[in-house]
Amino acid sequence: MISIVDYGMGNLRSVANALTYIGETPIIVSSPQEIMAADRIILPGVGAFADAMTQLVQRELVVSLKKRAQDGIPILGICLGMQLLADCSMEGGVHEGLGLISGKVCRLGSEESGLVVPHMGWNELLVSGVGTHPILSKLRNGSCDVYFVHSYHFIPEHPNHVLARCEYGHQFVAAVGESNVIGLQFHPEKSQDNGLEILESFCDWNP
Amino acid sequence: MLKQRIIPKFLIEDGRLIKYRQFHNSPREAGNPVSTAKVYDSYGVDELMLLDINSDRSEDHGVGRLIGIIDKMCEEIFMPVTVGGGVRTLDDITALLRAGADKVAINTAAVDDPTFISAAANRFGSQCIVVSIDYREQDESRTVWTASGTRNAGREPLEWAREAVSRGAGEIVLTSISRDGMACGYDHELLERAVRDLRVPVVASSGAGSLEHCRQALASGVSAITISSLFFFSDHSPIKVRSYLKGQGFSVRASSSSRN
Repeated sequence: MISIVDYGMGNLRSVANALTYIGETPIIVSSPQEIMAADRIILPGVGAFADAMTQLVQRELVVSLKKRAQDGIPILGICLGMQLLADCSMEGGVHEGLGLISGKVCRLGSEESGLVVPHMGWNELLVSGVGTHPILSKLRNGSCDVYFVHSYHFIPEHPNHVLARCEYGHQFVAAVGESNVIGLQFHPEKSQDNGLEILESFCDWNP
Repeated sequence: MLKQRIIPKFLIEDGRLIKYRQFHNSPREAGNPVSTAKVYDSYGVDELMLLDINSDRSEDHGVGRLIGIIDKMCEEIFMPVTVGGGVRTLDDITALLRAGADKVAINTAAVDDPTFISAAANRFGSQCIVVSIDYREQDESRTVWTASGTRNAGREPLEWAREAVSRGAGEIVLTSISRDGMACGYDHELLERAVRDLRVPVVASSGAGSLEHCRQALASGVSAITISSLFFFSDHSPIKVRSYLKGQGFSVRASSSSRN
């Protein structure tokens, strides 16, 4: 069973539909008790960082998420859900995150660069060469296009937490992982076959 | 590298796929939206755009019909979906996103009240909010028309697009009513200016009648093109279009086989 966290900001249906399609049993969880009972967690997310953290705090989900991470339960953050794993974000001021993977979240590009933001569309996932992480191991030919839509990106403090990068104006981190906690900047539930394979690998993964 | 997107555009009337010429003429039925979406998903298309055109054609506005279709569709297709047609309130957007849509297109409601764009962008994030702009061409001039092309809004499309972006639109779709279903090519003159002026993705809509038209549109630098008639009523499939464009040197996704 895969527990998808409902904190009022995420495309729960899409993630649940994708999991059902690949033969998994998704359940929606929204209370600290349900999170403590979960043995595999997905944190989706669409919207702004500050709003998301406000929701998580108001719903008293922060402590239980941190506890489950410490307990070694596999946790996957998707898009904004990945960014929430960071120590903090610069989106709309400085806001504290869950701090599950060291690093900060900053805006893509800059005024001067003229980069079109959000980064929206299919782009190539550049998977770190040596020792590919289990959840990316099933990708055909080791690389693929996945669907991104975001204006901010995660800069992990430790290079060995980088699982994959992507090129848009500059190289940014597209996937992070530390121990049992993983983050994907793109949307696997919107990336057709490649995305479904990544979700399958997450569901089979025992860190 | 970020790929340019090829997006099949579905117009839905009374729950069926339909295609008009210049928004109101020569309707042709094109099938069931859910099963057609599955076919396109199996081709590995980049994204889908669904517009319910009932809402501007009758008294009964509302996104209920669209929600039913998206709900069904999103159980079986796993790619981005933009939906629109009669979206008037933040609750409409909430309902569509919950049903599985990734982006919601607003048109008439945004022209009538531009603050709706900022309210939506603040609530849901700019990346979810698409401002769709329909316009007519006459000689050298272009004018925005709303309510499915029945009301002259008296604005120039690029000027309106700039305002929409400043208010938080995350993507702009430009549809030439004059070229809709006419297979005469996209409006590259406007598209090139839009790509230069706007700092958000620009989607070109209306006019594809040949592979060459698609090439010209991508050459203008747009982030994506939508295609309707060419897919529904000719033997050009998304695979063929993509393959041709890749051969022409454009950065588009390579076709991949489906899990099915």
